[in-house]
Amino acid sequence: MKPRVAFFDFTGCEGCQLEVLNFNLEIVDLIGAVDIVEFREASSDHSEEYDIAFIEGSQTTQKDVERVQKIREKAGILVALGACSCTGGVNALKNRFPMEENLKVVYGDAAKYYTTIPTRPTSAYVKVDVHLHGCPPNRNEVISLVKCLLTGKKFELCHNPVCVECKLAENVCAFERGEFCLGPVTRGGCNAVCVTAGRKCWGCRAPVDEPNINSEKELLAKYGLTVDDVLNQFKLFNGALEVSK
Amino acid sequence: MRKITIDPITRLEGHGKISIFLNDDGSVANVYLQIPELRGFEKFSEGRPIEDMPQITQRICGVCPEAHHMAATKALDDMFHTEPTSTAKKIRELLYSAFYVTDHTTHFYILGGPDFVMGPDAPVAQRNILGVIAKVGMELAGKVLNTRKENHWIIQTVGGRQIHPVFGLPGGVSKRISEEDRNQIEEIAKRNVEFALLSLKVFNDIVLKNKSYVDMITSDAFTHKTYYMGLVDDKNKVNFYDGKVRVVDPDGKEFAKYAPREYLENVAEHVEPWSYTKFPFLKKVGWKGFVDGKDSGVYRATPLSRLNAADGMATPRAQEAYEKMYETLGGKPVHFTLATHWARLVELLYAAERLLELVQDKEITGPNIRNIPANKPDEGVGIVEAPRGTLTHHYVADEMGRIKKCNLIVGTTNNQAALFMSIKKAAQALIQPGKEISESLLNQIEMAWRPYDPCMSCSTHNLPGTMPLEVTIFDAGGKEIKRLVR
Repeated sequence: MKPRVAFFDFTGCEGCQLEVLNFNLEIVDLIGAVDIVEFREASSDHSEEYDIAFIEGSQTTQKDVERVQKIREKAGILVALGACSCTGGVNALKNRFPMEENLKVVYGDAAKYYTTIPTRPTSAYVKVDVHLHGCPPNRNEVISLVKCLLTGKKFELCHNPVCVECKLAENVCAFERGEFCLGPVTRGGCNAVCVTAGRKCWGCRAPVDEPNINSEKELLAKYGLTVDDVLNQFKLFNGALEVSK
Repeated sequence: MRKITIDPITRLEGHGKISIFLNDDGSVANVYLQIPELRGFEKFSEGRPIEDMPQITQRICGVCPEAHHMAATKALDDMFHTEPTSTAKKIRELLYSAFYVTDHTTHFYILGGPDFVMGPDAPVAQRNILGVIAKVGMELAGKVLNTRKENHWIIQTVGGRQIHPVFGLPGGVSKRISEEDRNQIEEIAKRNVEFALLSLKVFNDIVLKNKSYVDMITSDAFTHKTYYMGLVDDKNKVNFYDGKVRVVDPDGKEFAKYAPREYLENVAEHVEPWSYTKFPFLKKVGWKGFVDGKDSGVYRATPLSRLNAADGMATPRAQEAYEKMYETLGGKPVHFTLATHWARLVELLYAAERLLELVQDKEITGPNIRNIPANKPDEGVGIVEAPRGTLTHHYVADEMGRIKKCNLIVGTTNNQAALFMSIKKAAQALIQPGKEISESLLNQIEMAWRPYDPCMSCSTHNLPGTMPLEVTIFDAGGKEIKRLVR
C-alpha cells in the first residue's frame, strides 16, 4: 500500500501548501508514489490514519490544540511545515499584546463572543518528528523529505547558516549595503534567495542549531548592534520560538 | 419569522459556512455567510519597523502575496514621499502582470471555471480540474500548468521568491532585470498572449455557444445593480498597479474618482453584530443595508467591476475583447454577476499584453532601480488592484520609524456585502415553498459566490478540486431541517 500523506492547515496564509502545489509538473511524480488522503481540513467523519501528516500554520485557539492532538494520534510521522508551525510565524507577533486587546481590535464589540490564546508552534502541544522551516519552506527540501521517508533514509536539515550559501552565491554582504541581516545566525537551506534578490535575511528559517557566537559578536560590534537587536529582528517570524521544542 | 441569534463561535468552524433561515411558508427569510478571515494584522503590525510591512502583510494570504507586497511598498513610497524611478515602476508592474496571468488562469481553469466548463448540473466529482482536463483535453490542460509554472518563474526571478517576494523597497526595487532574463520573459509573455486568446476562445465555445449557460448568466437570480469600483490610468483605462480609484453608479456614470490618500473620504466600513467581517460601503451614498440600487452604498470591486468602472482597456486585443463582451451583454454597465468570469478573461488578456509591452520597453533592464528616500517617513497610503478587488494599505509611522497605526481594506472585504446579497438572492430563487431542496442547490449557491473568488475559496488549490462548503437550512422554528456538506 502506498504511504498515506495528509496536509492540515491551521492559522496561516496557506502559502506552504501552495509552495508544494506549485511544484506543478514535478509534483506529479511524487503523487504517483504516495496517496494524498487529505489536503485541507480534518473532517470529523474521517477515521483513517496517516503515515505522514504535514501541519501547516500555528495553533491559536483551544480548538486548534484539540485538533492537532487528534491528528498526532492518527499520524505515523508528523511534520511541522513552515515557520508558523515551527516557531509561530508572523502570527506570534500578536503575543506581544494582551489577548483581549487583539480581540477588541479585530472584533470590536463582538469581542465577547470570542476567545483566542497566544500563538504557539505545533511542538508546544504535540511531538513533532520533523521541522521544515521557512516562510514558505524550500520546495526542494519538501521533496527531499518525502523521498527520504519513502525510502527509509534519514532526513537531515541543513546545518549551515544562510551566510554559507550566500557566499557561494557570491553576493555582496547585506551588512556592507547597510542592511541588518540575520544570515549569520539563521538556518540555511534556502540558497540565500532573499539576499541574492538584493535584500537581507529576515530569519524565517529560525536560528541555526550551533551558531558561531564569537563571529556573530564581532560582527555585531562592528556594526554597532546588540544581541537584543538580533532577538527583536528574529521576532518577525519566530515570536514563539521560546516555547517550541 | 422567529428571531434567531447565531453564536459567532460556531461560525469560526470550517470554511465557507452558509446558514439559511426559512419563513413559516418555507420561503427564504435570511441567509448568513460565515468566513474565517481575520488574524489581526492591523494590530500586530504595531511597533514593527515600517520597512517590514511588505514582508508582514503579504503573509495575510499565500495566494496573492504579490498584491499585499505591492500595496505595502507603494504605501512606503508615499510615507517617504519618494517616487520610484521609471524603471522601478515598470519592473514592479511587470511582476504584477505576471502575477495576474497566473492568478486569473488558476481561477478560470481550476476554481471558477469548472462551474461553466462542466455545467451546473454536473456531479461534484466532475466539477474540478480533473473534470475540466477530461473535457478540454490534455493539451490545453498542459498549457494551463505550463502558464502557471512559467509565470511563477517570472515572479521568482524578478521578485526574488515565488511565494512572498522580497523585491519591493520604498522608492524602487532591489534587483535589476538582466538581459538574459529579459529574453526569457519576453518568450513567456508571447506565449501568455496566445494562451489568453485561446482561453477566450474556450469560453466562447463552451459557454457562449450554449444558450442555457447564457440564459443563466443573464438571469435575475445572478444579477445585482450596484456601484462599481476599479483603478484607472489617466485615460480612464483599467490599470492594476497604479492610478486613481474610479467609482461608477449603477447607470455607469462616474460617481467618484479619488487618489489613494482620499480613500477615507470615500469608503467607510459598516459593522454588523452577527458578523466579524466588516462591510465597506460608499460613504457619500451611505449604508442602507444589504440592498442594491443607486441609493445603497454597496459597491463591488471585481474584474467585472473594474471593466464597468473604466472606459476601456489600454492594450489593443484586450480592448477588442472588452467591446465584444459589452456588445454581447447589452452595453455598460453589466450587472450580471456571472459575467465576472468573462471579465476575468478580458483582464487575463490585458495582463498578458501589458507584460509583453513592459518586457519590450527599453528601460526595463535599466540600472536606475531606486530613488533612495531622503525624507522622514510619516504617513502613507498605497492602493493596487488585487485580483479580488481594490486593495488599500494605510500606515502611520511614529518618531522611530515604527508602525503606529495600520489600516487595511483587503480585496475580498470590499465585496462582502454584495457577496452576501448574491448568495441570498440565489437561495431565494432556488428554495421555494413546497419545492424539494436538492443537492444541486449547493452547486448553484457556489456559483453565486464563485465570481467574487472570495479568498477562502482561492485557498482551495487542492488537487481533488473540491471546495469545503456547508449549507445548513433552518425552519421558522430554528430547527435544522437540512444540511448539505461536501
